[in-house]
Amino acid sequence: MPSKQKPMRYGHSEGHTDVCFDDTGSCIVTCGSDGDVRIWENLDDDDPKSINVGEKAFSCALKNGKLVTAASNNSVQVHTFPEGAPDGILTRFTTHANHVTFSPDGTRVAAGSSDFMIKVVEVTDSSKQKTFRGHDAPVLSLSFDPKDVYLASASCDGSVRVWSLADQTCTTSWLLLQKCNDVINAKSICRLAWQPGTGKLLAVPVDKVVELFRRETWDSQFNLSDASITQPLNVVVWSPCGQFLAAGSVDGNIVVWNVETQQCIERMKHEKKYSICGLAWHPKYKQIAYTDTEGNLGLLENIGDVEKPDDKVSSAVAKDYNDLFDGDDDDYLNGDMVEPPSSPKTGDNEDDADDLVQPPGHMRRAVIDDDDDNSLDIGLIKASSGLLEKEDDGDDQPGGFSALPSSTQQPLYDGPMPTPRQKPFQSGSTPVHLMHRFMMWNSVGIIRCYNDEQDNAIDIEFHDTSVHHATHLPNSLSHTMADLSTEAILLACESTEELASKLHCIHFGSWDANKEWTVDMPKDEEIEAICLGQGWAACATTALLVRVFTVGGVQKEIFSLPGPVVSMAGHGEQLMVVYHRGTGFDGDQCLGVQLMELGMKKRQILHGDPLSLTRRSYLVWVGFSAEGTPCYVDSEGIVRMLNRGLGNTWIPVCNTREHCKGKYDHYWVVGIHENPQQLRCIPCKGTRFPPTLPRPAVAILPFQLPYCQVATEKGQMEEQYWRSVLFHGYLDYLSKNGYEFDENAKNQAVKEQQELLMKLFALSCKLEREFRCVELANLMTPSVVNLAIKYSSRSRRLNLAQRLSNVAVEKASELAAAAAAAQEDEEEEKEEDFRHHSKARYSSSATNRGQLPGRNVHQDQEEEDDEETEACEEAEETPEVAHIFTFFFILSSEIALVASSSRGRVNPFKVSSSKKDPVVPSANILDNMTKYSKKTSGSRAVNKQNPPVIKPLTPKPKTKQALAASFFQPRTPAINPAEKIVEEKEEKAENESQETKVTAQENTENRRPKTGFQMWLEENRANILTDNPDLNEAEVIKEGMSRFRMLTSEERMVWTEKARGGRVGDSAEDKKRKRPTAEEDEGKKSQEQKSEDTNVSKKSKPLDASTNNRLSAFAFKQS
Amino acid sequence: MEPAEVEFLAEKELVTIVPNFSLDRIHLIGGDLGPFNPGLPVEVPVWLAINLKQRQKCRLIPPEWMDVGKLEEIRDQERKEDTFTPMPSPYYMELTKLLLNYASDNIPRADEIRTLVKDTWDTRMAKLRLSADSFVRQQEVHAKLDNLTLMEINTTGTFLTQALDHMYKLRTNLQPGESSHSQDF
Repeated sequence: MPSKQKPMRYGHSEGHTDVCFDDTGSCIVTCGSDGDVRIWENLDDDDPKSINVGEKAFSCALKNGKLVTAASNNSVQVHTFPEGAPDGILTRFTTHANHVTFSPDGTRVAAGSSDFMIKVVEVTDSSKQKTFRGHDAPVLSLSFDPKDVYLASASCDGSVRVWSLADQTCTTSWLLLQKCNDVINAKSICRLAWQPGTGKLLAVPVDKVVELFRRETWDSQFNLSDASITQPLNVVVWSPCGQFLAAGSVDGNIVVWNVETQQCIERMKHEKKYSICGLAWHPKYKQIAYTDTEGNLGLLENIGDVEKPDDKVSSAVAKDYNDLFDGDDDDYLNGDMVEPPSSPKTGDNEDDADDLVQPPGHMRRAVIDDDDDNSLDIGLIKASSGLLEKEDDGDDQPGGFSALPSSTQQPLYDGPMPTPRQKPFQSGSTPVHLMHRFMMWNSVGIIRCYNDEQDNAIDIEFHDTSVHHATHLPNSLSHTMADLSTEAILLACESTEELASKLHCIHFGSWDANKEWTVDMPKDEEIEAICLGQGWAACATTALLVRVFTVGGVQKEIFSLPGPVVSMAGHGEQLMVVYHRGTGFDGDQCLGVQLMELGMKKRQILHGDPLSLTRRSYLVWVGFSAEGTPCYVDSEGIVRMLNRGLGNTWIPVCNTREHCKGKYDHYWVVGIHENPQQLRCIPCKGTRFPPTLPRPAVAILPFQLPYCQVATEKGQMEEQYWRSVLFHGYLDYLSKNGYEFDENAKNQAVKEQQELLMKLFALSCKLEREFRCVELANLMTPSVVNLAIKYSSRSRRLNLAQRLSNVAVEKASELAAAAAAAQEDEEEEKEEDFRHHSKARYSSSATNRGQLPGRNVHQDQEEEDDEETEACEEAEETPEVAHIFTFFFILSSEIALVASSSRGRVNPFKVSSSKKDPVVPSANILDNMTKYSKKTSGSRAVNKQNPPVIKPLTPKPKTKQALAASFFQPRTPAINPAEKIVEEKEEKAENESQETKVTAQENTENRRPKTGFQMWLEENRANILTDNPDLNEAEVIKEGMSRFRMLTSEERMVWTEKARGGRVGDSAEDKKRKRPTAEEDEGKKSQEQKSEDTNVSKKSKPLDASTNNRLSAFAFKQS
Repeated sequence: MEPAEVEFLAEKELVTIVPNFSLDRIHLIGGDLGPFNPGLPVEVPVWLAINLKQRQKCRLIPPEWMDVGKLEEIRDQERKEDTFTPMPSPYYMELTKLLLNYASDNIPRADEIRTLVKDTWDTRMAKLRLSADSFVRQQEVHAKLDNLTLMEINTTGTFLTQALDHMYKLRTNLQPGESSHSQDF
């Protein structure tokens, strides 16, 4: 089994560090470049005791309650331990000491300094000093001979010397190291070490190997090396028993050898590959504490675990070892020895081994063989020890580590290593082991948990006191998870010996007296994550189940998760669950996300899609924005949000680390708001999460999408535009799902976006990027396209203007097609009604059109009245055309304008209409649309001669009057097209609207031929009246309509044909009458084009819509 | 000016509070305030902060300088230098008084802060009296009031100017007025 490597933690500020254990091993002592010595109870100790010893501490040593440190004030000081009171100065150098070390009996201290000197001082009497001179460069490190005869030292001059303590002479010297002038430049700090006990060997880290020198003969005995070491070794330490040797390298590798067998038993990689500069072996247990040059502290546990005395040679060794590592681990060892191979623990180990190593081909097989051998070994141990020897003969694996296939035997595997899976967590909570912690901080309130000597309690506080007053609960069940919503508090605890895991809900929103309920989980099922939504609560358990409850305590849905849960979040009806999809490699997590709606219509939106995390990061926060968009934050501080507009993809919206001042500062996210765009978080200095006291204050960060070149105006505007689009996506979602939402916000958003587009357009114009202009125009709404057209024609970009007009036309047709598709079903039934509609609609849309800046073209040709009739006449030529125009009028007046303006040139609908069957008009329309748009884009030559939008006819005086008149017409507020269609449906049912239609019809009736329906009605009016004598006119028509609709389509066709047959001649005449004039005018038009352009813009000032006003103002300013 | 008036002016200073209610932007003659979101820090004038605090509608976040460490530094600096040192806020005394009176539960180590500010204040007042003394003694005609806050000027301003007036009168009467006085008799 590989050793357990605990995650590293922040110990000191960046820089050189040193580490040691106290005599009993009860605490770890570290010193660092911040000048502090910290005393850690264990690795999870969040409140280590700090003793300040100077500006920087270079080295520390601890023995017999004396803490010796080398600090930057050039002195070697003594502090009492564990009190930390100063206990005098041992010695001073002319510069700072690099290494201090105790003699084995703790009576003397050796210190090596950068002034080339080594001093050995009596701890009790600092006047008794011995000085060792001879090094020609700063002394790097020292080691006392356990027999107290020699002292070894390494120096920057490249030499390693052994001194005789008695006469302070150099006994021997080797030139082993690279020379350098200072400790900072040294490749390795070369912490050498003498073998404890006998002192038989002196271990010196020399580049990538550890050289071992024999005492007295002073020749190199052997080298210890390993393939995993690719960088020089910094530190070497012996285990207290003298059997094992650990070395730490500059690139963060720690390797442990069994010296006797010269075999490597452990390999460990520093998670961030920082240089290891301190190593210390626990005096009793199989632990190694290590520190790196970035000030982090780490701990390796269970070094060389699972070894078995399955060999005669090794049995003695193992005995030693067992004596050495007495205590709890002993039991474990024994337990392991007698464990049957099929026990879950062994199984785990094997799994681990397999997971750890995925070697290709034969390597893998070798591993499996090993595993088999091992399990066989264990089985044999159990069965008989006689067979054991034979088995081991075949197994050429001396030493006590035969059962360590993953670390001893198999070839080194250098591929990606699996990442430990991150534990489940509650978003907005701080770690569970803290005495005072936040259990939840969200947009509703704060839940704090106190768990100290005096009190075990939960404090709930609401941001908005109108939701509920603050509450204080005793935490007798020791809840560890919590969530808070505006209607309930949800708490959960893990199971204990006798009690099951419980879910506890305080539903303060309830109107009855019983506000609390509790649910016990089944046996062996632990709650791992909980969340609250609106009217429901959910918990995920170790049984890979998600259980949904109502907020009142009724059990609802249960579903299985594909993997162990990481976190959950709820908002409204939405539930988001993040879980482990598999094993991640090389520091990555492999997470999946499910998003579902638990409302009336239950559905799953994200079906376990992979969650995109920054490389080598893990999830730290998951939740919803206040508006209900799923978001999450990873440990690298990247905030991502679901982009529903792009097929539910995730988009990074903020990098909180960019806002941090220090390397170790973080922002702890507590909430996300889309409108206004706010990322609410708590700045944490030097930590990942805030302490409960002093009460942290919330800060607000802005969002920024990671677009390129945001320093430039273009990039900035693009970022703003897309951010605006993204952060208003929730409005679409709300409207789609039938929630209420703020119409104003939407209009504001559209306005903002269009303004940005117009600015971008103007910018591109300035830069002569006309193609880009057209691309931008494709993103604009039709009305803004018109502005863009004007802008471009004003700035003499006629080619651009022409292309833009194509865009406008295409947009109009697209919209019409979309609407047509939406209306498809109703078309057939309403065929005749449209005539009424088109008129009624037209009368209102005419006023709409009056407000339009670009409506000139059409209006210029005719008087308002004439035009109205004309449009109607045209509309009646064929049913399809009628539909189309109706749509145009319905959709939005702008589009109507564009469409009608294009009519002079091509009437795409007319051509096909006569051929096609009117019974399926919608399909035809769609066909035509595509044809039409192709045609327009294809026939540029035509367009060039005849750009319809920007080159209007010469204005007639009357038009101006009409225009002026239109100013004073009542304006119907622009309603969004979809809504209008809906409205329209409703209208049919309403009497009053019917009446207006009728009147509208009457106005024009004398001039217009009758429709099929009208003809039918005339004939059937008598019938209706006899059936219902008390109906008024409107009701008669209504009744008639419903009856007409009851007819079969064939019958209706007959009527329609009848009506058409009656007026074919008329319309033909109309056409003849109109066309020539139009053509003549067009001819003139192209000549007068230039003067026209200016006229247009003067004449057609934007009449309404502040947006248009502002946009055009902007556009003109630019020109 | 009365101290109350100075305090009134000080109440226009902005402080940060964390409201526990929700309210849209409020429009006042002096400018817009808010919007107030529960749990989200917002800057408001002291008068509003105190009002809300008294109604338990908010939690106050003390100004950055209202911190024992920083105030100790300021006090030591003030003691070291002969001239007046710049203060963290032109209304440091008034703000300390107001905030500590009404929101001491939101300010960590309130008592120490009170003492520290009082110490600073006393040091400065002593300096002020000393300099006023030397000003009068040496019969200077003008003095610089660098880094003095409004409240400090007010403690001595009225009295000093009146005293100077009197002294001026006395002096002018003493020298050439000798004769005129005698004429009266």
